[in-house]
Amino acid sequence: MIVEIFKKHQMPRLRFLNLDLCAKIIAGIMILVIWQIGVALFAANFVAKPLSIIGVFPDVITDEVFIEATAATLSAVIKGLFIALIAGTIVGVAMGRVKFFDRLLNLYINGFYTMPMVAALPLLTIWFGYESNARLATIVFAAFFSIAMSARDGARAVPPEYLEVCSAYRAKPYHIWFDITVFSSLPYLIAGFRLAAGRALVGAVIAEFFISLDGLGMYILSHTRSFQHNEAVVGVLMLIAFGLTFESTMNWVMRRYFPWYRREGRGA
Amino acid sequence: MLSIINSDNRWIKYVTVCLGLLLGAIAWEIFGLNSNPAFMAPLIGNDEHPGAAVRLISNFSDQEFVESLIGSARLFITGFTIALIIAVPFGILLARLNWLRVALDTYILMLYVTPMVALIPFVLAMMGFDFWPKVVVVFLFSFFPVLYNTLEGARSVKPELLEVAHSFRSNEIALWTDVLVPYTLPYALTGIRQATGRALVGMIAAEFFLSTSGLGKEIMISSRTFDMAGVLATIILITIIGVLMMRLAQALEQHFSSWRGLER
Repeated sequence: MIVEIFKKHQMPRLRFLNLDLCAKIIAGIMILVIWQIGVALFAANFVAKPLSIIGVFPDVITDEVFIEATAATLSAVIKGLFIALIAGTIVGVAMGRVKFFDRLLNLYINGFYTMPMVAALPLLTIWFGYESNARLATIVFAAFFSIAMSARDGARAVPPEYLEVCSAYRAKPYHIWFDITVFSSLPYLIAGFRLAAGRALVGAVIAEFFISLDGLGMYILSHTRSFQHNEAVVGVLMLIAFGLTFESTMNWVMRRYFPWYRREGRGA
Repeated sequence: MLSIINSDNRWIKYVTVCLGLLLGAIAWEIFGLNSNPAFMAPLIGNDEHPGAAVRLISNFSDQEFVESLIGSARLFITGFTIALIIAVPFGILLARLNWLRVALDTYILMLYVTPMVALIPFVLAMMGFDFWPKVVVVFLFSFFPVLYNTLEGARSVKPELLEVAHSFRSNEIALWTDVLVPYTLPYALTGIRQATGRALVGMIAAEFFLSTSGLGKEIMISSRTFDMAGVLATIILITIIGVLMMRLAQALEQHFSSWRGLER
């Protein structure tokens, strides 16, 4: 009987899933074929083609320079995100809970958030020098404001009933902050953190372009300059893979540890 | 005391906001006056330390600067408009053709998360130093946010509505104007808001890394000559433009957000 129920409920869904997957795979193959043929017919010889990318892929992945470049960029991004997450959460929650700070700082946070960080790059290189500190500063600068803004929105979105119940039971401020505010603002924080991660990656790559710092961005730049586009595309694929991995990890964390926030976390 | 500072009185609100601006300006001024002119410029400044705000105003009577501003605007508007013209109809088309949406949405997500700056060197190598390669960069930066968000809207179009439209023998044009466009437009506007910010980044990045021109060139030249007032003045101008465009896009988005129909 159990097998029957399993069949009844599982089969249609599985078949549906496969159909979707088939469509996706066919579309992917078609895109690659069009790319291959289009480049072979119309573009210069050095332009990347899927087959040649597959050809160079194993060499690049095992190349020591490439591994070092990836490690340098990713470690800088993670370090910068960590700094921005802590600082941004503190500033954002303070702004969300205390109106005075909000009025004082909101204009600045919004302004810096809208400001394209590329424009500030020459300034940051003059302040931090042509070294990895400038890259770290760019990453923190790119990530901090979106985290602070979403932490602020999150802290403001705490349902007032919860706070009333807290004060009715004479909860300590410690409990209000860490048991109510942090958990209510979590979906917002996660949404902001996602945004910040994308911006941080962009910041790292731009900084590497600008100050010729060893890393994935520089790897891409130097290989395109020497017309080794296939190798450079592998670098871009690495960046995409990092973005997708981050996205799916965030989704997994949300589903695994905060299942009750699924809808808001995705929608925000 | 605390309750007065945090109260919702209109005057207290204004005073705190003004206080914030004033404190920031004073801190900037003091910091600028006391540091090396090659390192930081003050806001107003004096003869020894030229100020950023003064420079910003005097820039507008500088013929060359105004030309850069117009050049940047031309680049931005061209790239952004082309992106909109292609992305929005394509997104709505995906709402209509379900199988195409299922087939493509993974790849669109992939391109949406791609840091487009990484493609700038490829654009440079393939297309060179003209005006149009820069347009391509702005296009790449703004196309995928719009498409991705329109797609999100396309996914939310209720199949029942399409069925009802079909059962009343609605023709294709009516289906688009009465069901698909109103349903996806609010989502497309969210994408457009995201895209304005990204397109601005793309504009500056293109002006830095392809042939230097426009506001990017102004920043480049000033920073190479350690003319901090010039750098800061241009950055302030770009930020003001960005904030204004963001506000405009937000107002548009809010105006149409009731069309989402989630609240009801």
